[in-house]
Amino acid sequence: MTDQHEDPKFDAWLKDVARTTYHAPRTTPREEMWARIAAERQRRAGRVIELRPWMRWAVAAAAVLVLGIGIGRWTVRQQPRGTTTVTPLAAVSDSSRDLAYQVAATQYLSRTEAFLTSFRADAHTSASGARFATQARDLLTTTQLMLDSPAGSDPHLRALLEDLELVLVQISELNGGAHDTDLITQGMNQSNVLPKLRSAIPAGPGPVRTQGVL
Amino acid sequence: MDESTLIARVRAGDSAAERTLYDAHVDRVYRLAFRLAGDDALAQDFTQETFIRAFDRLGSFRGEAAFSTWLHTITTTVVLNGLRKVKRLRQRETDIDDAQAIGVRKRESEPDLKMRLTKAIDELPEGYRTVFVMHDVEGYTHEEIGAALGVETGTSKAQLSRARAKLRVALADFAGEWTT
Repeated sequence: MTDQHEDPKFDAWLKDVARTTYHAPRTTPREEMWARIAAERQRRAGRVIELRPWMRWAVAAAAVLVLGIGIGRWTVRQQPRGTTTVTPLAAVSDSSRDLAYQVAATQYLSRTEAFLTSFRADAHTSASGARFATQARDLLTTTQLMLDSPAGSDPHLRALLEDLELVLVQISELNGGAHDTDLITQGMNQSNVLPKLRSAIPAGPGPVRTQGVL
Repeated sequence: MDESTLIARVRAGDSAAERTLYDAHVDRVYRLAFRLAGDDALAQDFTQETFIRAFDRLGSFRGEAAFSTWLHTITTTVVLNGLRKVKRLRQRETDIDDAQAIGVRKRESEPDLKMRLTKAIDELPEGYRTVFVMHDVEGYTHEEIGAALGVETGTSKAQLSRARAKLRVALADFAGEWTT
């Protein structure tokens, strides 16, 4: 295609002048940038635990196995007394695998509720920042596993998990500043995370809600 | 070692392979980032972000296109998004400076060719400037540009032609330079 503005002499001149004068780069600072890349990757890896896809599935499979054993033992222990049945409030699926994920989700949500309630009440005390950050990192890993599991396929639960992920990331990065704590608490209040979390937790028997399986 | 083997080793967590892959491509990434940003600190930031994303997302690279094409797609995305943010920030600063400088503005002296050329290229629409810099300044082919920017090869050619036409008008004062 020949353009009406085409002028080979101008094009050649322009190319030549632009290559030598337009934002001419200096020698690539390879070592400097490599050091920065390595440092930044290390920093990000410390902030969010990245799992390779096969590891996520392995962890999820292990969690299901542990859950199965846990549920079996709990059921055997509880049945003779005839006082308790497990009734997940989230949508119940026929498959036992989905049931296992829902029980895991319930227990995770209970732990997170306890943690966030405690955070909102105690975060202003000076010594608690580091403790909360550590616990938030633990829960964050579980949150990300839950998002990748079948439990994350429920749109309501997924939206809640994403909200929780955001809050937990913020808490995990806390460096003790009261201002940061206020901002996180304010964000939690605005997004109604705790009420949503509480309404998603089944009103089941205590032992099921508090057992830390994951 | 061919590139697919190298990429497989990076995926397996081999840090020496990561460095080899970085060394093979960093010059072109940095040069393009610098040409588009016109600032060493920004170019380094963009290069750094490009490689971090590339290493993180290497699992999604299927090898259907060349690794360099995939990498340059990341580069252009990082650079163009980064420059938009910088532009918005600078615009806010300029607005404040302009408000403070009312009444003290003086006529600019006639800039030389380098300044006029830089200004003319900087003022091109983003799409024209990106294609012009990639093709005429950094020597990318239209196929590479099309793949990196997600446009048809014909679009890349058309944008280059329009960029040159605009620059010819902007640099008309220097016509003697290319007609002689």
